[in-house]
Formats: sequence, structure tokens, C-alpha cells
Amino acid sequence: MTTAPAPAAPSTPLLSLTPLFARLKVTLLRNGLRQSNKRRAVFIASIVLVALLGALQLLGLAALRGTEHAAVLTVPLAVLLALGWAVVPLFFPGGDETLDPTRLAMLPLRPAPLVTALLVSSLIGIGPAFTVVILAGSVIATAHGAAAFAIAVPAVLLTLLVCVALTRAVATANVRLLSSRKGKDLALLSGVIIGVGAQLVNLALQKLSEAGLARLEPLADVTRWIPPGSALDAVRATSEGEYGLAAAELALTAAVLAMLMLWWQRTLTRVMTSPDSSTLVAAAKPEKERGAGTGLGRLLPAGRTGTAAQRQLRYAWRDPKIKTTWGSTLGIGVAIPIVNMVQGSHNLYFVSVAVIMLTGMMYNQLGQDGPAFWMVLQTIGSPRDALAELRGRALALALIAAPYLVVLVLGMAAVTGRWDQVPEVLGLSLAVLGAFLGTGAIASVQFPYSVPQDHAFKNIAPGQSGIAWLGTLWSLAGLAVCAPLIGLTIGLHLTGGHGLLWILLPLGAVYGPLAVWAGLRFAAPRMARRLPEILAAATKG
Amino acid sequence: MAVGREATAAAVRVEGLWKRFGEQVAVAGIDLEIPAGRFIGLVGPNGAGKTTTLSMVTGLLRPDSGLVEIAGHDVWADPAAAKSVIGVLPEGLRMFERLSGRELLAYTGRLRGLPGDEVDQRATQLLDVLDLAGAQHKLVVDYSTGMRKKIGLAAALLHNPEVLFLDEPFEGVDPVSAQSIRRVLERYTASGATVVFSSHVMELVESLCSWVAVLAAGRIRAHGPLEEVRGEAPTLQAAFLDLVGARGTSDGQELDWLGGVR
Repeated sequence: MTTAPAPAAPSTPLLSLTPLFARLKVTLLRNGLRQSNKRRAVFIASIVLVALLGALQLLGLAALRGTEHAAVLTVPLAVLLALGWAVVPLFFPGGDETLDPTRLAMLPLRPAPLVTALLVSSLIGIGPAFTVVILAGSVIATAHGAAAFAIAVPAVLLTLLVCVALTRAVATANVRLLSSRKGKDLALLSGVIIGVGAQLVNLALQKLSEAGLARLEPLADVTRWIPPGSALDAVRATSEGEYGLAAAELALTAAVLAMLMLWWQRTLTRVMTSPDSSTLVAAAKPEKERGAGTGLGRLLPAGRTGTAAQRQLRYAWRDPKIKTTWGSTLGIGVAIPIVNMVQGSHNLYFVSVAVIMLTGMMYNQLGQDGPAFWMVLQTIGSPRDALAELRGRALALALIAAPYLVVLVLGMAAVTGRWDQVPEVLGLSLAVLGAFLGTGAIASVQFPYSVPQDHAFKNIAPGQSGIAWLGTLWSLAGLAVCAPLIGLTIGLHLTGGHGLLWILLPLGAVYGPLAVWAGLRFAAPRMARRLPEILAAATKG
Repeated sequence: MAVGREATAAAVRVEGLWKRFGEQVAVAGIDLEIPAGRFIGLVGPNGAGKTTTLSMVTGLLRPDSGLVEIAGHDVWADPAAAKSVIGVLPEGLRMFERLSGRELLAYTGRLRGLPGDEVDQRATQLLDVLDLAGAQHKLVVDYSTGMRKKIGLAAALLHNPEVLFLDEPFEGVDPVSAQSIRRVLERYTASGATVVFSSHVMELVESLCSWVAVLAAGRIRAHGPLEEVRGEAPTLQAAFLDLVGARGTSDGQELDWLGGVR
């Protein structure tokens, strides 16, 4: 960094760098599509979906034209859009290869032209197109007169640039987090966050449709001073002849854009010249002691069954994907009965949602291990080993599921006062749990499939959805296994034998474990024979 | 333990091993007898079928046809006996990554049916010898390549196998880790055990192995003691390039600008 004259390599002029990056983006996009027909199909489907969604938004916004409160909606909408752009890179890291500045660290590029080129190339894609459509709709809703439409052009452009610069700057600032394990884990948990967020937006929309757009007035008053909301308010202001206000709002947006670019450029320079996350992890302080065989592990049976169960339980907590599944299963299992109880339905049978969701987790036990399954394979020599392995996995699931169901049923009875239903519901739950654990073990052996580890929403590896479907279909077998008890319950209800319903509790408590035992017995020798095939299926992802 | 380890017995016997993936023939009829108590190198260019062969030999991939015997046990007819005498470090090294290094060893040892105390004792020693004691409570997912290879090696050695199969054990490993892996392997073969490892780094094979098999396009091109395979050639590298028919195809005339006037 001395004042020596520039090296022989010419500093790339801005004008040639920008089209280069735009072409790079297009090439990456095209090559990604060329990779597989499936990816092409997904891409086309998402274009159609986004086009449809965009068209609907456009129509909806255009319909607002002439309404008094149109700007009250469009201004917060622009801010919401920008917010969406800001959080996208946190949830979908690695979605865009040109987003990763560390790939460019070796090239002799100066930050300012690099940032400009990256910004322009970011404008190519479905997301920016969708944003433009929504912004166009907003303009149609609020612009009146030639001056307003003329102002709308820089307003829309500025808004779009702010959105894109924001997403890039946030991604760059977090590149260390995003490329670390913790960041990737966080991204996998995003399913839950997005689910909750969608519920909140849904709730807000419901309230809005009850109260009307005027309700948004205070929100719009604030957001018109938050770029890019201010850019869209400039369109409204021009329509109403407030030219000074419009100019100020546009200037504010431009200033924020400049600040974003500066911040981005600085973090980019810093990121490109600092160690990456793997070095930082290696240098991090030693982690807390994770003892072998401490705590709960001591209560598990000795031998392979306990060892396998312990690993399953550790994974339930440590593997982000399995943790998400457990979290949503246990959460929804409680939430649905609560919602129904709040709405006045006093029926303990709503516990069936929890039972069904819990049992679903048994259906791909071995495929879930992924390529690491070879370690299990190497240590299984006989059907006896396979039985112990499967028993450990069923045990781990039952150790969480059985107490959870008992507490849930008793809790629901305490709230609703339907203690009369407890024996039959609890007995049936245990029987169904057992039947599905048993048949699930068979499905795990016969229909294993890989679970992609790096994707929050994909749970089946490409090309294996057929197998996964067979596994799901096979759950009918679980239903068949517990059919006698379900039949008995219905029979007792229909024939007025309510006095005898208590018998389901002891019956279920015996029937459930028996069904597990039979299922594991049936699955174990098949597992021992099919080990290499299961490994091959588990390694696809 | 002495039974499978007489000097005359073959540690691994492979007959007529075939594997096709669709149209492509990955392994085209391999016959091989690997002597016991030696350091064996399985060498070949990328795509030669090394990993496929090792996977079939260790019971991870079902062959289309052929026989594999390890210490007298048929891998595909009597997997229980064969698996109990081998240790494996496969390529790619996918392990249960959300366990800590120590937990992984505890888990593997117990799956192998070893008593818990014994597992923990052996794990402590292996972690020490392989310089992993400081990282034993870190999750494997946060390990570097060298650390992963070392913890994989520890897991493969835990049950004191007769034959150890390692797929590219030194790939991407720093010199310090490589040295500790090497030290452990040398001590292990000195006890009369057999190590079979694949590599495409000839210098490494030449310095470590006393017996090599050269694999190219799914077939064995040469096998035997190192000196025999090397023959007249100055180095194993040169002998290998001759065997797989890949002597330098050009002397670089096209690149005459490289290193020229800047």
C-alpha cells in the first residue's frame, strides 16, 4: 500500500467491469438451469408463480387508484419490501454465487467499480423483476398527472437500488456468520421463523380488512420518512403539488442509497482481507465439555440399544434439521388442541394431531443418517445387531413421545374437564404410537431416502420422491395394525358400551409395545440384508 | 489374534470383482491377493476405480459379482465375521458430525460391542497420540480436514482390527497431522497388522509402502512388492506413468509466452 506507481495490470475501468458482471450473472443463471431438467422446471414454475403473484398485486394496487388512502398502503409496502430484501440473505445464504465476495478476493479489482458492477448485476433476476412490478403498481395507484409519472421513474429506480444494495450490504456484513456452521444452522431454522412471520402478517391483514386502510395512516406518517418509503411518497406528493416535499424525499432516498453503498464497499474491503470463518473457528476458545455417558445417558440401557438411542437424542437437540422437526411437531401438537379448546371444542381426540406428527418421524430413520450411515453399517454383522440398532431409535423417539402424549392428554383433560375421555384417548394414543413405530421401522428399512442437509425446506433428495412416497403410503399399514383397537372404540361408542371404554387404556398400553416389538422383529433381518442398498439410498443427497 | 496373521496367509483375497454403474464399468474384473502384515498401496489416477474397489472390499457397496475374503472371512457371505476384523476410513469421511470427537469414539466403540470402560480408555489414548485431546469436546462438524482424518482413523482403530482400509488418508492433510497419522500407522503395521490405503501421491506410496497394486480403468495393471512394480524406472511415479500410459504428451511449446517478456 505504498505510493509506488500502479502495477502493470491495468485497473479495470468501470465501464467494462459492469457488463462483465452482468454477463457472469446471466451465465451462472443459465448454467444452473442447464444442470438438470428438474431445476429448469422449478425455475419456470417459480417464474410463472411470481408472474401470477406479481400480476395479482399489480391489479390489486391499480384498483386502489383514485382511493383516498392509496399512498397510505404503498409507502409502508415499499418499506416492507426493503425489509424483505434485507433478511433474504440471512435465510438463503449461498443462493447467489456472485453474492460471495470472497470468490473475487484474488482479482485485482478496486472496491468502488466492483461494488457498482455487483449492484448492477444484482438487478438481474426474478426478485428484482417482481419488485419492479409491485413498485409499478404502487405508482399506478398514487400518481396523478404527468409530473407525478415523471418523478415516479427515478423514485422506482431509487427504491429498487436501495432494496438491492441493502440485500448485498447485509449479506456482505454477515458473510462470516453466513459461511460458518452456526449461520447455516440458523438458516435451517428459518422455516420456523418464516412460519411464525407469515402468521403475524396474516393476523395483521385480517385486522386490516376489518378496520380498513385508514388504520394505516399513522404507520404511513412514519414510513414516509424511511427510505425507500420516502421515494414512493414523493410520487404522491408530486400528484398533490407538494414539489418541495417530493424533492426532499427523493434526496433523502438517494442519500441513504449512497450511505448503503459506502457501508457495503467498506465491509467488502474488510471481508476480502480478513480470515474466513474456518480459521476463526479453529482459533476459537475450547468448547464446553461434552461428557460421554453423563446425565440422561446413564439411564439408557447398556449396549447397542442405549448407544443408538443416546445418539438419536443428541441429534434431536444438535442437528438443526431434526431439531426443527421436533420443535414444530411438539409445538403444533400442543397448539392445535389449544386453538380448538379456545374455540370451545372440548374433545381430547385432538391429541391425534400430535400422535400422527410424532409417528411420522419414525418413517425414515436410517436415511436420515445420510452418508454417515456407513458407520452404522460397518458395525452391524447380524440381524441381532440390526434389531438393537432399530430398538435404540424407536426407544429414543418413544422416550420423548410417550411422556409428551401422556402430559398432553392429562393437561387437556384438566382444562376441559373431560376426564371421562382420558382412558380411551390415552390407550388409543399408545396403541397408534406403537403401531406406527413398528411399521415405521419397516419403512425405514424398505424405503430409505436422503434428507438434504443444506436446505431448510427440502426434505427429500432429488430423484427419491418416489421412494419417499412409498414410505408415506406404507403408513397405511400402521393404520391397519391399530385398526382393531380403533374398531373396538367405535364399536363401544355406537353400541352404547361407554362403561367399558376404560378397557382401552390397559389394552393400548399392551398393544402399543407389542406392535413395536413385532415391527422391529420383522424389520431387523431385512435391514441386515439390505445394508449396502440403504447406504446407497442415504448417500444420494 | 495370531490366527489370521501368519506371514503366508493373504490378508485380503479378491476374485473376479465387477461393478457397473449403468453403462459405465467402474471395476472390470479384479483378482488380487494382498499379503498380510505389510503396508499396501493401492494407486491409480482419478476415476480408476480405487474408491469403488475399496467400498466393495469393505462391505459398503454390493459388487455385481466376485468374491472378497478378509483374513479368511467372506465379506459378502459372512459379513459379521469380516466386519469385526476390519477398520475403515472411507473417502469423503462423512461421520456423525454433530457428535464431539470423544463422543464419536465412544459411540463407535460401543456399536462395535466393546465394554464402555475399555472404549473410553482407548479413546483417551488415541486422542492423545493423534493430538486431538485439545479438540475432543468440539463437534466434528467444526473440525478441519486433518482433524477429521485423524478422528476417522481413531474410530477405525478403536477395535484393534487386523486389516485397516484407508481411502486417501493424506488428502488435504497438513504435514503435522500427516506425520501423526503416519506414526500411528507405522506402529500399527509393526505389530503385524495390514494397512491398505489408496492414494495418487506416488512419493508418499513409495516412502510408506512395501507392496503396491496399480489400478487403471477398473483393472489391476501391476501388483507386487514395490521394487518389482518399480522395475527399471527411477521412481514409482515414472513406472506408474508408463503403466497407465500417460507420459508427457507435449513439452510445452505452446506456452512459450509463459515467463517471456512481460
